[in-house]
Formats: sequence, structure tokens, C-alpha cells
Amino acid sequence: MSPPRLQARRLATGGRIDRAAPLRFTFDGRSYDGYAGDTLASALLANGVSLVARSFKYHRPRGILSAGSEEPNALVELRTGARREPNTKATTAELFDGLEARSQNRWPSLAFDAMAINDVLAPVFVAGFYYKTFMWPAALWEKLYEPLIRRAAGLGRAADGDDPDRYEKATAFCDVLVIGGGAAGLMAALAAGRAGARVILADESFELGGRLLSDRRTIGQDPGDHWCRQAVAELASLPDVRLMPRTTVFGAYDGGTFAAVERVADHVAVPPPHAPRQRLWRVIARQAIVAAGATERPIVFGNNDRPGVMLAGAVRTYLNRFAVQPGTRAVVFTNNDDAVATMTDLIDAGVAVAAVVDARPQPPTHIAALAARLGIRMVSGVLTDADGGLGVKRARIRPHDGTAFDLPCDLIAVSGGWNPNVQMTTHLNGKPAWNETLAAFVPGRLPRGMHVAGAAGGDFALSACLAGGARAGVAAAVAAGFAAGASDLPEVDAETVSVTPLWHVADSRHKAFVDLQNDVAVSDIALAHREGFSAVEHLKRYTTLGMATDQGRTANVNGLAILAELTGRTIPQTGITTARPPFTPVALGALAGHHRGRAFKPERRPPSYAWAKENGAEFIEAGLWLRPSHFPRAGERDWLETVCREVNGVRSGVGVCDVSSLGKIDVQGPGALDLLERVYANGIASLKLGRARYGIMLREDGFVLDDGTVARLGPRHYFVTTTTANAAKVYQHLLFAAQWLWPDLDVTITSQTEQWAQYAIAGPRSRDLLARIADPDQDISDATFPYMAAGEIAICGGLSARLYRLSFSGERAYEIGVPARFGDALMRRLMAAGREFEVTAYGTEALGVMRIEKGHVGGAELNGTTTPGDLGLAGMLSQKKDYIGRVLGQRPGLTDPGRPRLIGLRPLDPTARLRAGAHFVPNGAAAVAANDQGYMTSVAFSPSLGHWIGLGLLSRGPERLGEIVRAVDPVRGGDTAVEVVSPIFIDRQGVRLRG
Amino acid sequence: MAEAHAPLAPAPAFTTLGRLSTPGLSIAPVDDLTIIGVTSFRQTAAETAARLRATVGIAPPDRPQRRSSGPLALQWAGPAQWWLMANGADASSRARDLRHRLDGLAAVVDQSDARAVVHVAGPHARDVLAKGAPVDLHPRAFAIGDVAITQAAHIGVTIALLDHKPTFEITLFRSYADSFAGFLLEAAGEYL
Repeated sequence: MSPPRLQARRLATGGRIDRAAPLRFTFDGRSYDGYAGDTLASALLANGVSLVARSFKYHRPRGILSAGSEEPNALVELRTGARREPNTKATTAELFDGLEARSQNRWPSLAFDAMAINDVLAPVFVAGFYYKTFMWPAALWEKLYEPLIRRAAGLGRAADGDDPDRYEKATAFCDVLVIGGGAAGLMAALAAGRAGARVILADESFELGGRLLSDRRTIGQDPGDHWCRQAVAELASLPDVRLMPRTTVFGAYDGGTFAAVERVADHVAVPPPHAPRQRLWRVIARQAIVAAGATERPIVFGNNDRPGVMLAGAVRTYLNRFAVQPGTRAVVFTNNDDAVATMTDLIDAGVAVAAVVDARPQPPTHIAALAARLGIRMVSGVLTDADGGLGVKRARIRPHDGTAFDLPCDLIAVSGGWNPNVQMTTHLNGKPAWNETLAAFVPGRLPRGMHVAGAAGGDFALSACLAGGARAGVAAAVAAGFAAGASDLPEVDAETVSVTPLWHVADSRHKAFVDLQNDVAVSDIALAHREGFSAVEHLKRYTTLGMATDQGRTANVNGLAILAELTGRTIPQTGITTARPPFTPVALGALAGHHRGRAFKPERRPPSYAWAKENGAEFIEAGLWLRPSHFPRAGERDWLETVCREVNGVRSGVGVCDVSSLGKIDVQGPGALDLLERVYANGIASLKLGRARYGIMLREDGFVLDDGTVARLGPRHYFVTTTTANAAKVYQHLLFAAQWLWPDLDVTITSQTEQWAQYAIAGPRSRDLLARIADPDQDISDATFPYMAAGEIAICGGLSARLYRLSFSGERAYEIGVPARFGDALMRRLMAAGREFEVTAYGTEALGVMRIEKGHVGGAELNGTTTPGDLGLAGMLSQKKDYIGRVLGQRPGLTDPGRPRLIGLRPLDPTARLRAGAHFVPNGAAAVAANDQGYMTSVAFSPSLGHWIGLGLLSRGPERLGEIVRAVDPVRGGDTAVEVVSPIFIDRQGVRLRG
Repeated sequence: MAEAHAPLAPAPAFTTLGRLSTPGLSIAPVDDLTIIGVTSFRQTAAETAARLRATVGIAPPDRPQRRSSGPLALQWAGPAQWWLMANGADASSRARDLRHRLDGLAAVVDQSDARAVVHVAGPHARDVLAKGAPVDLHPRAFAIGDVAITQAAHIGVTIALLDHKPTFEITLFRSYADSFAGFLLEAAGEYL
């Protein structure tokens, strides 16, 4: 780096910047130098840059109002490319070497913005303008008006590419969470930490100390910032205290839960390897201390948004913390005693002070005395307007005696008093209370376990901050179960705190802004009031006051005070709008954390996953499972060819399919049979040992919940299978029935889905393949192991497996289960041993085709709106017992013979393709909703038949076999004549099944 | 075709995660842990507990805890539910024999293959787990032998603290193993 260049407004000494660590950055393409410890705002000011932005609506030139997260003006774009980050506050952005910053919402340049024409037209663009003007014609709103308005109004541009950085989420627990690391927060953390409590101290800045870094105070014998360093060092030495700078606590939630975002690597160009950019914290605190400080509010006057108008506290921050002169000639405009420090600090830093304007009718004598001593002109009066185009050039001052005059200046340091940062006390529905003496809202009733200390509670004096912090720290530690004693409180230098409210200056010549970020002026509030929007919540929504990303932290109280004046009510009568989380904007990346891309949700991999992957499987998501859908081979034109091959392979030889994702539930105990009898709609009692049975479960309302099988493995031991989709639901259903409906049943229910790798072996050669891996002494002849048999079998040299003779395909088939760790090897073994039979691996697509050919219902038919009767399963319903869903299943609407019922469908044109979702209308009737008689639920190209087939639900369907109806698909434009046929397309007698 | 009858080789639950170790953190998948689920029938709860104590030599915990004796451990898994956990072949066959000892008293179901198990240990183990599990694992709140049934990265997990290193044993459903490994490696990245 070339030697650092002159920073025209940088003081030679002082501040908490590191002059040995120069940093180079650019703003709007121009290169500047700053120092470690700077914010972007302080570095820009050090280089004499005070125009940094254009406003949201009127494109007015804007500068830097504050030195913190309340900043409404200085929003910029940081970085470039995929890391481009719009709407970032220059006042909180920590400077780093190579930082590229850009102003936004201006064209062609910041100094000349064509859209500033809006400012000239401001009388037209008042509150509610858009709603009134662009009402008609309504159709144009979305296509024309909104895009135009959005282009003109605005903020920065989001990055075009995927965010290259990582984010993560974490949970932290503590006895005491201290929110804010200023004097009160440090004192509170010391008191609680010394008592042995687990303490987290979070502060949004990169350096702990709060206003002790910004104001020149004395604590004990030391400057305030020295006391800070000592406090931080002691806290860092306590093993159970965690210091979290760069961390904003942005929300309070139930049960002592707080949300915070830690900017782990915002202050470097690229996060170090493996470090997240930001980390979202959920902090669970037994006690919390809100020591979040206060936000200074401006006094509203004409052109109060011009660059060079700055909060007085921020002026002191730039002078003292950053060693920067924010101007060369200042006017101080105040209604409170902070003017003492502001005047002193300006003069000491070599900034000329043209005048101090104290709005109070009788300014305190000590202020006048100080002004006289410093040679500053003291005016008892108000500042009505700022003058100047791209920055302040003059201040128009009107003393209380009625005269008026202008003073040249380039900085107006304004203070209207301080608003405690009460937000964390309100997120759980706390209502702030108005304090007349402080002219500010202070926390009202606090949530359980929450304490407030320092300026956040209205204690603006440093001595009160230290005392309140110590008190809150002790109280919190004691409430968390620790013995804590009072700490010695250090002495501080003399201070006075007194304020007489003044919200805005009447009779300004120029537009006077209340909400700078949303360009809401005093005149907009008056207009809202005239138009009847006089409730504070209405005012907010009509004018957008306080609705910008700064949540109106410098605007809300002024706004409602002005409304109170207009309506003749008091401020408490006017009320306050509700602050909600987040306290400051939070990046979506932080909220998502690890869960993006493939990690958006967890993935479940079946036991044969690695083998399937090696063999070129395409996968499909079935819930969280990734199941092979088909196994394309070289030379196959499309998925259909692949699936047809797989189906033919099964039907002519043997195929293997991983069905491990089906739910498997072990049910045992003296009450096992009773439970199953009550949850299955068909009889289970007659199920013999070593046999399996198809079963259906109903919901309480009589609709089908799921289908599956139940096998009897022992006298009081059953094994239930479910569909993949309903595995968790059925498990939950069984637990609910056992624990809540019939707690008297003594039964255990254990999920075994993950224990067993389970493969379907289907096709005429399935037994032959099975015989290859079964141990020689195992008898799997049809006599011993017929259709629907279930039992144990030893395979591959003594491995105990479970064998079930079940079929979904209509072919002779088995399902074999082995402990999951052997699943991968078993799949490989089956494929190797099956080579002589040309064994086919098949996926869910072929599985689906074969079940449709066989007329088995699947997820599309078990869709929560179908009854057993609809699905042709009424014959299964037991007449001999009671079961869940029996009574409500008898309601007339569920037994209506006109209900759509399951049938098969065959296109008249054998080349026609069927589409699931097509609706049935009678042949010759118009394709309108009134003629709708049902719909196609599942379709497949049947390789066995050589044409498309479908399953559907058709009104009185089974009575209409042979009838021609039309399958109409308005979405995809299909209209196909289909014949109503039996849903079983192949092997209606089940010969193949039994072998 | 003789090789069709050859024994099948077991596959590890974690296919993407190996042993990783630094002074601050170690991650080690565990493949040979036997987990036998014991769920007592309601009428026989007291008898089941007594029989467990007699056969295994460990008093079954009645809250989320794990108690060990040599290669065997009993871990609470719910009211009147335990996992009997065994390291090594001998212990494993002893554990599997339990089925006969508890016949008629409890459902004894092998869960060894239903779970993936990984040990996360070392001074940064708590920092890593804090990025997933919303459980207080500070020594004051979670002592050796404590068990939490919770979730991490949207995946159901059981966490047990085995020793003072500290070593956390994390047990989860097997099919989630690779997803969990993805989370774990990302969370642990800064310490490896």
C-alpha cells in the first residue's frame, strides 16, 4: 500500500482508532484512507465526505445523521458481485482494507440525481399519493405503476449471485444476559459475573463501552474509556462470562429466549476459512438485563435533512471516538444540558462554534456561563431552517425576542433529548410508559426475569448508569440463585441532566422531515390528521412514518408528539406504535443458517443408496427419503424406455427393489392384538402365527388413513408395515391410541423402520433367486412358505433375516429384511447372484407402473378424501368388531352410492396418452364443472398391455364398466375418450401371485 | 455358486465421515455399538427393572441418564424404556441374550442397526454441538452420565455425556447419517 494520504478532517491525536493500521477503501469509485477502528461513516467524514446518499422518495441529498444503528440516511451498498450488500448503514459498517462502498438510489451521480425532480414535485407526492393516484385502472397497478414506483423509489440492489458465504445458527444458555455493553451493561455484567453467574454480554458495536467511548468522562481517577478497558479485561478473565461484541440482540421471546445476530466476519473482505459470515444466536437466559442505552432524537426544523445536520451525540462520537471533525464551523441547537459537552468537545477539537441555540425559555445559567467562557454566542431561541444545497451552508436562527438572522456554518449539532431503547421490553407485549420529566417513554411492566439498567431505563446520568447496572446485576444474579453483594461504585465527574421538550420548530420555511428514511415530513402528518388518520397506528400506515428499516428510531416520538399537538391530546393519550423484532434488519442468510441448498432439510438415504448411485440410478424425493426412481442404461432413449425394461424384467424374470423406506412398527405385549383390532378396519384376530395380512386403517372420521401389512411373529408379537409417506403418521396414530385412547391396553410400540434393510424380490424367478442366498437347510418351498407367509430365514451363512411373501406387483414376490448394516452388501449379493436370471434392479417408477397394472391403491388414491368403499375395499371392513373410523364412516355422505369410486381406464385410441388429474365428463356432455364426475388419480404406460392405463375415481364407477367417458384436462389441453374398465389390468385371478 | 452364501460385510452408517482429530476436537463414528431396546410392559415394570439390574448389574435409571458398568451401559429412553448398550462381541452377545431373560416382561427389540452413532469430543465439542442442539451442555447443567433426547439440524438425536474430556455420544436414525455428517463437518470446520 502506498503511504497513507491526508485525511483532511482527522485529528492529530486521540480517539480509539489505530493510526498504525491504515486501511484503504473506495466510495463511489474514489479511493480514500481510514484507520482500523473506523466505521465507514467516520472514515468518510475524516476525508471530508459528507454527502453519502439520496433519500427514498424525493431523492434529496443526505449525509450522516448519527453514529449508530439508528441511522436513517447513510445507507450504502457494500462490496461487489455476489457479496454485494444493499442498504447497509455506513455508521455501523466496520471499515476494512479494500472495502468497496457505493451510494445508492441516485442517477447519474450522487451530486446530480435526475430523480431529484421528485423534490420539486414534493407538493404532489404527499402521503397517500400513490394510493390516490394509481387507483385506476386497477389492472395497471401490478404491470405498470408498481414497477415504475419501485424503480424511482428505492434502496439498493440485492446481489445477483448466490451468497458465497456461510451462515450458522447456535444456541447459548446463561444465567444472565446483558444486552448492551455501555457503562450500565459493563457494571451489570461485573456484578453478576463476580457472583459466579454464567453471563453473556452482547453489544452491537465492535468495541465494548457504549457512550463511554464517545463522551469524555471521568470514572474514579481515570478517563471513562480506561475504566471500560479494565472492566472488559476483568470480565474476560471470568471463566463463565462470554463477551459478544458485534452482536445485536434483536428480539425477546417467551421463556427467556432472545434472538441475536453476531457479525462474525462482516469486518473482513472475505471470511476466514470455515468461519461463518454471521451467526444467529438463540440465547436462553434465566435473567436478562436490558442496558441498551438510549437514542438521541433530533428537533425537527426546515431542511433538517441536509448533509451537515447531525445529532449532537454523534458529533461527540466522531470527535472523541474516531478523532474526526464532522465540520469546521458548527451551530449547536439543543433543548437539554448535553450542550455543555457538545460545545466543549467541539472547541477542544478545534471546530469553531458559531452559536449555541438553546430552545428552552430559560436556558440554565451554567450553559450561558460556559458559552461565555468559550467565547460562543449564546442564543435563547430556535433554529428554523438550514440553508444550502448539497450540504449545510447557513443556519437561520430566530431568538425568542422575535428577530431572526443567519449564521454561516457547515455543521448543525442538534439534540432534542434522548429516547430510552425500550424495544426489548416491549416485544412480549410490554407497553412503554411516558415520563414527563424525561420527556421520553420508559419501560413499562417488564416480562418475568427482565431487568433494565442505565439509559434504557431513563437513567441518563453516568452515575445513575453505574449504580443501576450494579443493582440490576446483583438482582439478576440473586434471582438466578447466586449470592451477590453490592459492588463499590466509582465516583464520576460532575453532570447535569435536564430537558424541556421541543419536537419541531414552527414556521420553518423549508420542508421539515420527521422520518428521514421514509421521507415523511411534518406536513404529511398534518395531512394525515386532516384526512382522518389521527390514531397513531393509522398515522404510521398512511404516512409510512417509522416503517423503514430503521423502525423510525429517530422519528417515532417526534411524529407522535406532533400528532398529539395537532389533535390536542397528550402524548400518553396519543399512544405509541408497537415495536416488533427484529430491532435492526437481519440477513435472511443468518435466519437460514446451515439449512440451504441440499441441506435445506435433512435427507434420508436407504440402505442401498451407495450401490444405486454407483449404478446410475435417478433418485426421487419421497418425503425426506431419496429413493431410486429408475436405473437408466446406456442407449435408452428416455425414462419410459427404462421403466418399461424394468417392468418387463420383473414380469418375465426377477427384479429387486429397495423398499426399506416403508414404515415398520414392532407391536408387542398382552394388549397387542386388542390394539391392532381397534386400529385396523379389517379383522386381525384370525391372523395365524407366521402369516401376514393386508390391512387398512381409518381415521376417526371414516376416511382411509393408510394401508399396509401386519405380520404375526409371535403369540403376542406383531410387525406392522405402512406406506413410506405415512410411516410417521401411523406410528403416531398407534402411540396415540395406546397412550391416550386405551391406556389400559398393555402394549409396546417400537419403530423398526431404520433397523431393517428391506428389499422386494419380485417376479416368476424370485424364489429361485432367494434360494441362491438362503442357507442350504432353509425350506422356502411354496408348501412351507406360501403366499402371505412370514417368518425368519437364515441367509448368507447364518445371517438371520425376515422373510415375507407379499406382492405389490402382482407377481410371485418376497420381501426380505436384514439388519440395516448388511443392506448394502445384500443388494450387491442379490444382483450378483441374480445375474444368471438377468435380475433387474427397479425403482419407484416401475413399482408404480406394476401396482397400477394390478389395481393396487397408492398415495394418489389414499389421499385423505377416500373411504374404503370408494377404493373397492368395503369387503374388508369387519362386521364383528368396533374400530377407529367405523361409526363416522357410516355417515350418509360417506356411504352415498353416487360417490366417485375406483375404476380402471383404457384409452379408446391405444396411442393416446392419459394424464393424472384429468376430470371425467360423460361422453357428449360439455366439459364444465357441473358435469364433473370424478378424476384420474394415477396413470402409467403399461408395458404389459402396450398402451396407457389409468386408475380413477368415477361417480358410480364400478356400475359403469364398459361405458365411454371423456378424460378432460383443461390445464394441459387434453380431451381423451376412455373406457371404464376393472382396475385390475393383469392376472385378475391372482394366479401369478400364488405361483 | 458358493460365494452367494458367503457372509455379508457390514457397511458403516456414515459413508462420508471418518475419524477426525485435533487437540481441540475429535469426531469418531462408532460402528460396533450394540443397542438393545427394552420397553417394559406396563404390568411388569417393577419386575423388568429388577431383572435388568440382576442380569446387567446396573440399576436402570429412571430419568434421562446413562449408567455404565464395564462394556455394558443402560441408557434411559423413555418411561420404563431403556437401551442396553454393549461394546465388543462378548458384551454384545450377552446383551442379545437378554431377550430370553425378559421374556413376557418387556419387548426387547434390537436397535443396533437403526441408529448411527458418533462421538464428538474435546474442548470444542460443546461449541460444535451448540450449533445444532438447543440443549444446555455446560458442565453445571449437563453432567457426566446425563442424556438428552432432542434434535440437531432438524434431525432427532440422543446426546449422552460419557466422560470429562468431554466425549458426547450422539445417536440418530441411521438413514440421516450422511445429512448429519454434513452438518457436523460444517459446524466443526473452524476447529478442525
